[in-house]
Amino acid sequence: MTELERALVALGRELDFPPEPDLRSRVRERIERRPRYRRALVPALALLVALGIALAVPEARSAILRFFHIGAVTIERVETLPPGRERPLTAGLGPALSLHDAEARSGVALVLTRPRPQRFYAQPGLIATLLQYRGKPVLVAELQGDQMGIAKKLAGAATRVEVARIGSFGLWLEGGRHLLIWEAGPGEVRQIEPRLAGNVLIWTEGDRTFRLEGGLNKGQMLELARQITR
Amino acid sequence: MGRPLDESNLIGRAKRGDTHAYEELVYAHQGIAFRTAYLIAGNAADAEEAAQDGFVKAWRALARFRDGAPFRPWLLQIVANEARNRRRSVGRRAHLALRAATEETSGDAAPSPEASLLSAEVRQTLLAAVNELPEDQRTVIALRFFVGLSEAEVAETLSLPTGTVKSRSARALERLRESYD
Repeated sequence: MTELERALVALGRELDFPPEPDLRSRVRERIERRPRYRRALVPALALLVALGIALAVPEARSAILRFFHIGAVTIERVETLPPGRERPLTAGLGPALSLHDAEARSGVALVLTRPRPQRFYAQPGLIATLLQYRGKPVLVAELQGDQMGIAKKLAGAATRVEVARIGSFGLWLEGGRHLLIWEAGPGEVRQIEPRLAGNVLIWTEGDRTFRLEGGLNKGQMLELARQITR
Repeated sequence: MGRPLDESNLIGRAKRGDTHAYEELVYAHQGIAFRTAYLIAGNAADAEEAAQDGFVKAWRALARFRDGAPFRPWLLQIVANEARNRRRSVGRRAHLALRAATEETSGDAAPSPEASLLSAEVRQTLLAAVNELPEDQRTVIALRFFVGLSEAEVAETLSLPTGTVKSRSARALERLRESYD
């Protein structure tokens, strides 16, 4: 170590850092909250079943789906779509990473076990990867459930939205022009350029939101989805 | 008081859902996590929030933590991401300052051997030079010398190649040498 480096170490010991908070109780409270959350899921599920029935009725569906949250995803039906264009499925998700680096960057432990690809993408609260399924690329994204607002879907009037029987609650979006906007997280102003999205299956399982996007039909997408959360 | 359990044992227990073991890990690393977050986020409130969120996210990601890997840089990378998100949204940086007591020349306690190496004037000049470094260089210097991370740990914490950390560090030290010599 040079004299300058020793001086920097000495300087570091004289710096006025703010007092270090004791985080133990607050961290413990948050990580122990999960079982209570699961118990709360029972009435929430009942509500979702009722909502699912309502969504099956076209008139009710159009009224309900103007603005809707499913896990970490917001779906909003608008009159006019904001500007967006066709872009690769992984556009805006950053560089390809190893699983270890992607999990560290996102803070999300990947649930997907098979098929297991080699390249991953990460944003805070979101981990994603690209699969080939039935010869077509499918973007698989997993979002942490308490990161509301990470992704927002704006659906044009021609987009069909249906309930999908998967996980705690699922939705299938198909057809028309619909737009995907990735947002980096709560309080994060950076917004990645919107792009037109393909067919999408979204569902929740525990505190996790899953999202599949690609050129598959509903049956094929559900088939893949059930392999992921089986 | 019993002998503290070693870290790998605590990690193993935490992976199996033992929140008390994880609490021990939080206690062991909360100081360095907070300082790291403070240097990146730029203020104490955001740093505290970033450190707390980082610990919660690390808990959720613990199942994927490789056994035998160093825990500290893995944790700090998650905390640094949280801190960076907060800093980006407000565009500020921590202004480092000396503790008031170190500016005084008298006192009951003898100065530490390291502190006695530096006169008050040198401390102020060197700190001013550190504060004037470009953000990417200053963060590397601060994590390396003020927080006490190794070069490899700085690289992992900031998700940078080790070569980038080395070159940023070298450029920063060259600038600081001008003020120090």
